[in-house]
Amino acid sequence: MAACTRRAAEVLCLVRTLRQIQHQNERFISTSLPHLAAGGDGRPPKFTPPPKPVIVDKTQSEASLRRFLSPEFIAPRSRTSGLKFVVERKDMVQRRKVLNIPEFYVGSILAVSMKDPYANGKTNRFVGICTQRKGSGLGATFILRNIIDGQGVEICYEMYSPRIQAIEVLKLEKRLDENLMYLRDALPEYSTFDFDMKPAPHNPTADVPINTVKVRMKPKPWSKRWERPKFNFQGIRFDLCLTPEQMEHAQKWAQPWLEFDMMRHHDTAQLEEAIYKEVQAELSK
Amino acid sequence: MRLTLRALISHGRVARRMGLGPESRINMLRNILTGLVRHERIETTWARADEVQFYAEKLIDYAKRGDTDEKAMQMANFWLTEKDLLPKLFKVLAPRFENQSKAYTYMARLPNRENLDRAAMAVLEYKGNPFPPLFPAKRENELTLINQLLKGYREERAQLSGSKP
Repeated sequence: MAACTRRAAEVLCLVRTLRQIQHQNERFISTSLPHLAAGGDGRPPKFTPPPKPVIVDKTQSEASLRRFLSPEFIAPRSRTSGLKFVVERKDMVQRRKVLNIPEFYVGSILAVSMKDPYANGKTNRFVGICTQRKGSGLGATFILRNIIDGQGVEICYEMYSPRIQAIEVLKLEKRLDENLMYLRDALPEYSTFDFDMKPAPHNPTADVPINTVKVRMKPKPWSKRWERPKFNFQGIRFDLCLTPEQMEHAQKWAQPWLEFDMMRHHDTAQLEEAIYKEVQAELSK
Repeated sequence: MRLTLRALISHGRVARRMGLGPESRINMLRNILTGLVRHERIETTWARADEVQFYAEKLIDYAKRGDTDEKAMQMANFWLTEKDLLPKLFKVLAPRFENQSKAYTYMARLPNRENLDRAAMAVLEYKGNPFPPLFPAKRENELTLINQLLKGYREERAQLSGSKP
């Protein structure tokens, strides 16, 4: 009996301190402990877990965070005047202030919720692996691929579309290739992802992990000849599906002079620096 | 249904079509570029000179990185078919253009070729070459009447300003 009263007194003390903290920091959810502890009926108070602490990690400085500039900010090589890109970037930053578009790469697993007038709840959510990122500026798109009920589904989302309500990165990683179109001809296990996948934690300072998985393909014919050197895919296990003669035959389409052709070289390092600074300045406004 | 005529429309294409195909074009430009690096002034058709001008300047940009740079050495090794020109590129041409940033070449048109094809010819050279200049500085004729009068006027002015202070 005495123990009970002591515990009740302790609880009341805790509640008083919590109420004080509550007034100082409105972010806390109401505990409802005072409400139930003072209850007169004989039932024991319903257990409500304590509020989760808010962790603010001040150990890592801003300088050590990974610098990332989304590729659609970098304008393609063209004769368009710079004004169009400046204005477009302003609009992109405006949209980013409203909707958080996280950092992701081809090969990361994303979940996108989009407004849909014909879905119940008016939103539909799709989870998939990002196979391509195309376009630049406001029209930038990314394609998510998943296999649902045995049917492969690829959905192309526009990053800055107002219909998109949330983009969540469930697993942040890179792959060996910039373009994962070959997953269409790979075994289905490489493209199936659970819709209820839990987001995996990722480190904001370390380098993005590269998933070096080499994908096993279905037997030929494929939708495109992925072994040809113009694709230069590293992420396919050719040794399991092609003979060395076929690999050599594919090399006939090799163009070894292409990497030395200086007309095709486009160095974007300085452009990236300038655009990164501009975007950071705009975001902080 | 294909809605674009890729074969006929060439919007934004910078590279000319030369020779028998892309490989042939690159090989031809390689030979001309090697000749340019060896002789520092060459004479070809206007179209080839125009293409090689771009590649010649980009090669100098790569050479400026230095011969310790892996990428620069690979590019120079590819573009110069005669390997005794590699030291010349890195040790003579790159230091010559250290202070310039863009224009390392001059191109001037020549009279059309005497052959049946009457092809438009051009001469392409690296600046700082030992030959007499392509665009010599024109001196006005001092013995015309007006120039003599002006010369006299300038001398009088110099005398007056010399005697005054």
